Amino acid sequence: MSTAKARSAHARAILGPELYERLPDTKVLLVGAGGIGCELLKNIVLVGFGKITLLDLDTIDLSNLNRQFLFKKKDVKQSKALIAAQTAAPFNPNVTLTPIHGNIKEPQYDIPWYQQFDIVLNALDNLVTRTTLNVSTVSPNQRQRHFQFAQFAQHQVNQSTASSGVKIARQLFGEDEDATGELDAAEQQGENAQEIATLRKEAQAFNSVRTALRSTSPEVNCNAAKLAFQKVFDTDIKNLLLMADMWKSRSPPVPLDFDSILDGTFNLRDEDKTQNGVNPNQAAAATPSTSSVNGNGKAASSVTGLKDQRRLSLKENVELFVARHVQAITNRLAARLQSGNETTIAFDKDDEDTLDFVTAASNLRSTAYGINTQTRWEVKEMAGNIIPAIATTNAIVSGLIVLQALQLLRRNYTGMRNVHLQYKPAVPLSTITLSKPNPGCGVCRDTYALVLCDPSRALLGDVVKGILGENNEREVSVYEDKRVLSDPDWDDNLERTLESLNVTRGKFLTIVDEEGEWGTISIGLSILPPDHPVDSPPYILPSPLPQPQRKPKLPPAESTPATPPRTSRKRSLPIDMNSDVIDLAPTPKRLKPTTTSNDLESPSKRRRLDQDGLLLVDGPGELLDDVIVID
Amino acid sequence: MPVNDMENSQSTPSGSNGPQLTEEEASRYDRQMRLWGLEAQQRMRNATILVLRLKGTATEAIKNMVLAGIGKLVIVDGEKVTEEDLGAGFLFRDEDVGKNRVDAAKSRIESLNPLVTVETISNASILAGEQFEDLIRAVDVVCVTDWDRDDLIRINAVCRRNKKPFYAGGTYGLLGYIFCDLLDHEFISPDRSAPKDAPKSVKRTEIYSPLDIALRHRWSTLTRRQTKEVNPAVVFSILAIWQYQSLHSGELPDNLSAATELQSIANSLISEAEVNKQFLTQAPETVLNAIANTAVHEFSPVCAIVGGMLAQDLLKALAAREPPIANFFVFDGNTGAGTVTRMGMP
Repeated sequence: MSTAKARSAHARAILGPELYERLPDTKVLLVGAGGIGCELLKNIVLVGFGKITLLDLDTIDLSNLNRQFLFKKKDVKQSKALIAAQTAAPFNPNVTLTPIHGNIKEPQYDIPWYQQFDIVLNALDNLVTRTTLNVSTVSPNQRQRHFQFAQFAQHQVNQSTASSGVKIARQLFGEDEDATGELDAAEQQGENAQEIATLRKEAQAFNSVRTALRSTSPEVNCNAAKLAFQKVFDTDIKNLLLMADMWKSRSPPVPLDFDSILDGTFNLRDEDKTQNGVNPNQAAAATPSTSSVNGNGKAASSVTGLKDQRRLSLKENVELFVARHVQAITNRLAARLQSGNETTIAFDKDDEDTLDFVTAASNLRSTAYGINTQTRWEVKEMAGNIIPAIATTNAIVSGLIVLQALQLLRRNYTGMRNVHLQYKPAVPLSTITLSKPNPGCGVCRDTYALVLCDPSRALLGDVVKGILGENNEREVSVYEDKRVLSDPDWDDNLERTLESLNVTRGKFLTIVDEEGEWGTISIGLSILPPDHPVDSPPYILPSPLPQPQRKPKLPPAESTPATPPRTSRKRSLPIDMNSDVIDLAPTPKRLKPTTTSNDLESPSKRRRLDQDGLLLVDGPGELLDDVIVID
Repeated sequence: MPVNDMENSQSTPSGSNGPQLTEEEASRYDRQMRLWGLEAQQRMRNATILVLRLKGTATEAIKNMVLAGIGKLVIVDGEKVTEEDLGAGFLFRDEDVGKNRVDAAKSRIESLNPLVTVETISNASILAGEQFEDLIRAVDVVCVTDWDRDDLIRINAVCRRNKKPFYAGGTYGLLGYIFCDLLDHEFISPDRSAPKDAPKSVKRTEIYSPLDIALRHRWSTLTRRQTKEVNPAVVFSILAIWQYQSLHSGELPDNLSAATELQSIANSLISEAEVNKQFLTQAPETVLNAIANTAVHEFSPVCAIVGGMLAQDLLKALAAREPPIANFFVFDGNTGAGTVTRMGMP
């Protein structure tokens, strides 16, 4: 407890005694202890929320320290949740912190676990987990508040060059995608024999390179890197050039000749295409970086010297990829495989070796195709999907979250706002009134219920029948996440235990009406109480049973309108309160009405589209302006 | 995309040609450099910032600036830590009550980012006379927090005389403000309407005014919609608080009895400023009642937002990328809205 009685004097005056008195007993769940999480934790601790549970699965990295201020350099590699709690606790000794280094998707974090909290604050950085959290807290009587903060990567530019490098890495060092089985099958099914023969040759060529890289025999593997180079950047390109049709309207790639590049006589293109005014054959002077969007390259006055931001010449890229000494990246990766510690190596932006490889490989490919190369810095961002982040935005957003959370606790729903940070000079913080609940929302239009059970004994059919109650004649399909467990034409699984179907605590069974007449029921699973009688059925149904909404039948399929109906663009940006995403630079997108009603007829199909991130609404043309489609 | 080299304008620190970034700095600052670039990072790194008074607003602003990697921070505060300070001052602990604020906080500020130099001054006498002029000359930007209007005007003038950019910010309960005088500020402004593959940057200059000129601003040129957009009720509430403070020897209103006076001050300010009568003739009573009760208090989420905007803008000014606030930002914590009014700027 704090010795300073007056530490809360200011907060009490501002919140008023009634709200302030409630804070010590308010139980808060904070999911995420990163950029937003650290700032948010600091705020709610200072304000005086008495019982805070903090959960994060991640560990601390050096690059976090520019904004996740609860962590210091000595904390790198330790648990974010634990260190955050440790650092923030002294900010207010009156608060109890319970940090958990764990994954919110683990089974023990089921619906009953969430129900212990009065308010849930979301400080996540990915859509999938946000959805999990959203679904888990939408249940009867749950007061839910998700503060979703979305930053979408702006770099669409040159994504392909970096990812081609990742693909090459995977082909050489990743899992063995054994093509022979597929090719045999294709041949048997009578596919084009000549094409198959070519593909077989391809697969074999790759396999011999893969084998060479892994070989422990020195005569074989000293040449492996050069073999890999020649296959990918010379032979394969030459093969592509044979397909004359492809190059009628496209600029053809140039095969890279290993030896002449290294001795400086290689001629890339007739015009000797240069980049940034530098001959690709020559070693590059240290040119300053241009990050893909916001670069500020001043050649004379700011030579950086940072090795990552140098642009490599063609020769340097080749040397990085393969050289006669062990520095070459292909050799380094091969050595890792040979040592036996790793059977495959996957790209990881924080793994220096794989980053070097992808840089070299994608640059070599780019050079062959006449595309601008990238610095290692740029490749890391693209292939590693890095989103830039700064302290101030996190701090501002977290402050705003707390203010809104307090409005929620006051039940001042009409006073709540969504707030956008934007580039508009006159209005840097723009407020938007919350939308009304959207009956078409992909998450909360479903009806949720909780079933306590022993999955090793409870049968799927019994649980589903029990939930449907009187209505158990209707035709339904049953899912767990994306997996179909049963449908009207296939009921084998109804006799099986939930556990045998991998349907366990923390997961959801979804019951979808095949006629499209009733809303979907989503059943969360948790465990039986310890005193549950042994001879009782191994499940407890909710009481009352969930009542899904009756839906009007979809109108008969008609041709969709040529232009979707649009309301005035002048209205404030509509945000679905329950949508997972707040787009900071919003361009309201339209649900493409070109999907005909036929496609949407099957509820199962709608559901699959749903889970890919589209929010579907009932009836074409309805509520289009209120929906932001997530790509 | 090469940009014309800019002459060393008043708002960029001398020493852009200072030592290069180390690899360690590059790792720590990686995520922010991918936003604003290496050049901007170097400018921040070569800058010395002076901050006056270490209450909630400054606590947050300092955290942000230090994390960003400025070169040096100088903090001046002559006062001691009180129990109330602990509510928003996470750089203080129970056992610091009674100590000089800056002494209590120093090592914690340093540990936020050991690459930043921190100098603390607990003797406020440095804020007057020749000492003050020397202090101003030794820094690149001045940031005054939770200060009274009349002295802000004085400090602004000293900064101007020495060609130093000036920032002022603070909070009053759920309200907050930022004012800046960046002299003649040259910067690069990305052209966001340019096509994707050709990001253009435009060089711009913005001419700023000192606070006393800004306060004489007339609103008559704004349309009703333009007036509404910048939230004049909040602007004039803050100006009224300033005037009240000036009339009460620096004391802030601290209970409901001050509401009547605040109301009459606000109304005459609104009328003098020729605010569009169709939109606003008097400050709303509910707003001023709330202010009367809360202006003297600080609230950590509001400090986080205002301190965040303040640091963000100061760093922007250092980087000379993106247009900074021009020139009076107000924050309304009742809704979360933040708006900027151009006051007295050409």
